[in-house]
Amino acid sequence: MAGVVLSGVTKVFPGGTRAVDAIDLSIGEGEFFSLLGPSGCGKTTTLRMVAGFEAPDAGTILVGGQDMTSLPPERRGMGMVFQNYALFPHRTVAENVAFGLKMRSVPREDQAKRVRNALAMVRLQGLEERRPSQLSGGQQQRVALARAIVIDPTVLLCDEPLGALDKKLRQAMQFELKALHRRLGLTLVYVTHDQEEALTMSDRIAVMRAGRIAQLGAPREIYDRPTSRFVADFIGDTNILEGTASGHMLHLDGWASPLPQALPPGPCAIALRPERVRLGAPGAGLVDATVEEANFLGDAVLLKLLLPGGTAILARAPRETDAALLAPGAAASLAWRAEDPVPLEAA
Amino acid sequence: MRAAFLSVCGLVLAFLLLPVLIVLCFAVNPDPFLAFPPSGVSTRWFVKFVTSRDFMAAFGLSLTLGVATVLIAGTMGTLASLALLRSSLPGRRALTGLFLSPIVLPTILTGFALFQLAMVSGVGRNPWILLAGHVVVATPYVMRTVLAVLANFDRSLEEAARGLGATPAQAFREVTLPLIRPGVIAGCLFAFIVSFDQFPVSLFLVSPGNETLPIAMFNYLRFDFDGTIAAASTVSILLAVALVLGIERTIGLQEYAKL
Ligand SMILES: Nc1ncnc2c1ncn2[C@@H]1O[C@H](COP(=O)(O)OP(=O)(O)O)[C@@H](O)[C@H]1O
Ligand SMILES: [Mg+2]
Repeated sequence: MAGVVLSGVTKVFPGGTRAVDAIDLSIGEGEFFSLLGPSGCGKTTTLRMVAGFEAPDAGTILVGGQDMTSLPPERRGMGMVFQNYALFPHRTVAENVAFGLKMRSVPREDQAKRVRNALAMVRLQGLEERRPSQLSGGQQQRVALARAIVIDPTVLLCDEPLGALDKKLRQAMQFELKALHRRLGLTLVYVTHDQEEALTMSDRIAVMRAGRIAQLGAPREIYDRPTSRFVADFIGDTNILEGTASGHMLHLDGWASPLPQALPPGPCAIALRPERVRLGAPGAGLVDATVEEANFLGDAVLLKLLLPGGTAILARAPRETDAALLAPGAAASLAWRAEDPVPLEAA
Repeated sequence: MRAAFLSVCGLVLAFLLLPVLIVLCFAVNPDPFLAFPPSGVSTRWFVKFVTSRDFMAAFGLSLTLGVATVLIAGTMGTLASLALLRSSLPGRRALTGLFLSPIVLPTILTGFALFQLAMVSGVGRNPWILLAGHVVVATPYVMRTVLAVLANFDRSLEEAARGLGATPAQAFREVTLPLIRPGVIAGCLFAFIVSFDQFPVSLFLVSPGNETLPIAMFNYLRFDFDGTIAAASTVSILLAVALVLGIERTIGLQEYAKL
């Protein structure tokens, strides 16, 4: 019902920046959908077009099957959480949250009750009479969220809502936001440049690059099966190995890696996650490498090794790994399963 | 360092305030000439001022003009600032410069130009053209402060209001206006003072029998030189001080009065 469908949506800013370039997206009702990408790739612009703050130069935006493309924002009935929260500084917390209800001429008693509910929902009680400037960043964030959900929107738009919070608070809010999404059952479009955040929270992710969608899929799919070098690089640490494919093998500098499927002969690149690389005694794997650096991560050790020919490769080894293999200068063999490498499309 | 800074500030303040003090001394001095120290304290000149029909008529006209100027220049200046900063009007920069030009132009030129305009167009001198003149010189002061608050205004606040269901008019009334109000009020205060103290423009545009207070004082000064002028000045100064203090008390000026 309240799915969001973008077809051919394009935004060109005066000056010629193609901020969003013919995007097609179909976001399901009740879905937690993330737009993920580096700064400047057009995430905010896309979200602002859905909200109605920016008019697309081409394309249509449907919400729940209804064409919203030319409706002003006040008639779209969506909730929005701004990156800087955009709380009204001259109003108290309660007045901020009640604003949308006031605009809808909800009777006063109802307003009070719904404001209380919304504030309870974001677990922010007892601060109703404070001004936004008297709140911490995390509290302001909750007020912004309460103000957006109090109007019972079917679609909630969030532009990097946790970007200004410190790491610990951000993690706590990620869980809360996810729980809130489940409870309210609304369609959530979430903009972030933080791949970890997108991976942990989303049902599906669209990775954006320069106004286009580079890849769309569930978090696991995006993480395990990036189709392009850009996505592989952007989502987490990754190794990219370039060689020549022939059948089920990729030939590199005097050694070869197995491939998950037969590829047409020719130059080819694969992505390989560091945690897929297994360390062993020299001579026991696909190739031998020299440990250059070893960084202790707490639960694991991240190793930088040099392959024959001088290419660096990252490997994430469990901390129980034989200490002799983890010392800088040590020789170790590397191995992985045939299904671990991900062939990338020619960039 | 600190002592040097304080003494420089003290000197500047003394330089600025000494003339005011002299006027005050003169106003309370019963002698009909400037004397120091004053030979006593009396309200003689104040009484003469408030019982003079000419001065009171002029005082009344100046107050009326001041209030009318504030209403018109306040509205126009605010709306013009919004249009200049918010719309995609062609030539916005040039227009801004044009609107603000009366601040940099010698007021006597503005006054003379308006005088010529009134004469050439056949309108002649009357209280309406006088009001127009005051509005022309007062509007840029409103625009200066309103443009300043608008430049720092976070537009996402208006968008947030729109997203929550406010029409553009509602967003303006509920969010924009309350937040730019201090700038508007400070601008109106300047506008009032510019109008109430206005001499050059009024000099060219007052019609006989319809003099403003500064013009009436000037005319009086040409023939008489006694404490009435000092009393009139004191009343004007106290009025301005009362206005500034009143506004400072209610909304605070510091942030918005930067020129
Ligand atoms: N109002 C605007 N005018 C001109 N260019 C803009 C405007 N807003 C954004 N852009 C440009 O559009 C591109 C995408 O911006 P944005 O959507 O904000 O990216 P993101 O949110 O992914 O960081 C950027 O190159 C940015 O400079
Ligand atoms: Mg952005």
